[in-house]
Amino acid sequence: MKRSLVNLGYFIREAFTLLKLNGVSHLLSFVSIALAFFLLSLVVSTWWVSLQIIDTLQQEAEISVFISEDISQTDQEALTASITAIPGVMGVRMVSETEAFEQMAAILGEEAEVLTYFDENPFDAYLETSVDPSQAAVIYQELLLLSGVRHIRDNREVLHQIQSLTNLQRVLGLLFIAAAGTATLVVISHLIRQGVYQNRNQIHTLKLLGAPPSFIALPFLMVGLGLTLGGGLLATLFTRWALYLGYQQLAAPLPFIPLPPLTVLFRNTSLVILSLSLLLGIAGSAMGLKASRIQS
Amino acid sequence: MITANDMTLTYNDGTEALRGINLKIQSGELVYITGPSGSGKTSLIKLLMGAEKPTAGQLQVLNLSLPQAGEKDLLQLRQQIGPVFQELKLIDGRSVLENVVLGMRFLEIPSQQWRSRASEALEKVRISHKMMSKAEHLSWGERQRVAIARAIARKPSLILADEPTGNLDHDNAVNILQLLDSLRNQDTSVIITTHATHLIDRQRTSQLIHISEGRIVPQ
Repeated sequence: MKRSLVNLGYFIREAFTLLKLNGVSHLLSFVSIALAFFLLSLVVSTWWVSLQIIDTLQQEAEISVFISEDISQTDQEALTASITAIPGVMGVRMVSETEAFEQMAAILGEEAEVLTYFDENPFDAYLETSVDPSQAAVIYQELLLLSGVRHIRDNREVLHQIQSLTNLQRVLGLLFIAAAGTATLVVISHLIRQGVYQNRNQIHTLKLLGAPPSFIALPFLMVGLGLTLGGGLLATLFTRWALYLGYQQLAAPLPFIPLPPLTVLFRNTSLVILSLSLLLGIAGSAMGLKASRIQS
Repeated sequence: MITANDMTLTYNDGTEALRGINLKIQSGELVYITGPSGSGKTSLIKLLMGAEKPTAGQLQVLNLSLPQAGEKDLLQLRQQIGPVFQELKLIDGRSVLENVVLGMRFLEIPSQQWRSRASEALEKVRISHKMMSKAEHLSWGERQRVAIARAIARKPSLILADEPTGNLDHDNAVNILQLLDSLRNQDTSVIITTHATHLIDRQRTSQLIHISEGRIVPQ
């Protein structure tokens, strides 16, 4: 280890010499790796956002209970009391037609103008029922049995659809990781083998002088790591830019989508991409060196 | 230091390079191995530096029994040897100084001594004025000297020089042989292969081994 540190300058110089030896190949590989990691980071980011949305929606378990139009005030109060008595219900609040209209106007934001096209308020009054998310399914069934309830709406369907989308994204993400990983491994391993072949005379001399395999291999390992880590780094920079743009596009027109904080999303995605590039760099270089049989 | 008993080397393609070789070389000796081209001199040098293993018989170099040696043992053996290759094997694109230092980077030599040892060795072979020149910009004779400097800067127990006078004119060849002769001491043996027997100073030679068709021929 101490000897490696003493020779660090030499290893870095050798790594640069190797990089220059096949400059164009290395540059193209670097760009390909960066592109693969960028696509991967986009898939990972959207997957992450979907998970975050599901998590947030699950925390905000609310059931909207629409009551029959011909129900009397007394029956409405009795119904409210019955709903409140159901275990797991944390609160019931009457939302008037006007309030429902205002809520939708707030959600639509700049697009709220569309509501002016209605001659009458198209929204019904309803009972906004806050529930324990873990008991939402049971409460939903019990509400259906109550008289005076016309229609029930909860976010389970939305959750289910997002969940399906997330599952698809997970599969896509894993496929992307496998594809980008395999491509990176093949590219790095091939470049290392090519480098070893082109430097075979120097390597042979070093072996005859008694250089240990680790001494010979380190510059090659640094080249592999440099390419993947550099590619990963470039990909995270592009990801930061893409996420920033994406948030600008999404957050303003769709303010009700519970997006995770941009900095947290970027930090987590970067961590995944850089860790992956580090692992793939080491693995690819090791594969290339093993195939080249750098031994005494 | 070196003993060989009935040693044979047959390459994978079936070529028998050496057979029935018996040797005994002590510490501090200057040994010449002579013979025509293709007689087996380079194969013997390869065996002595652990680049090949005998296919039969025994060979012991610097207390290491070659047929049984593992990769780690071979590595340690090579680190104790100062080789001067027939084709020199300098690294092009690197300076003379870097070529000499490269031979020490992985040895147990403190890094603070690398430059001083390299300068000293280059001084000894009278090429220190070209220390910063690229190896490929030197003449063959100068490259020869750098290769010797790389070997001696390591302060090895055994110097193995394979045809160090090849491609050199008479005066330069004599100078190189005298230089190699001067490197032997109590702890360092020098083994030189050459087919230029007329250049050998027999008075100063400990042993003269003549090889022909892979066998040692009595003189």
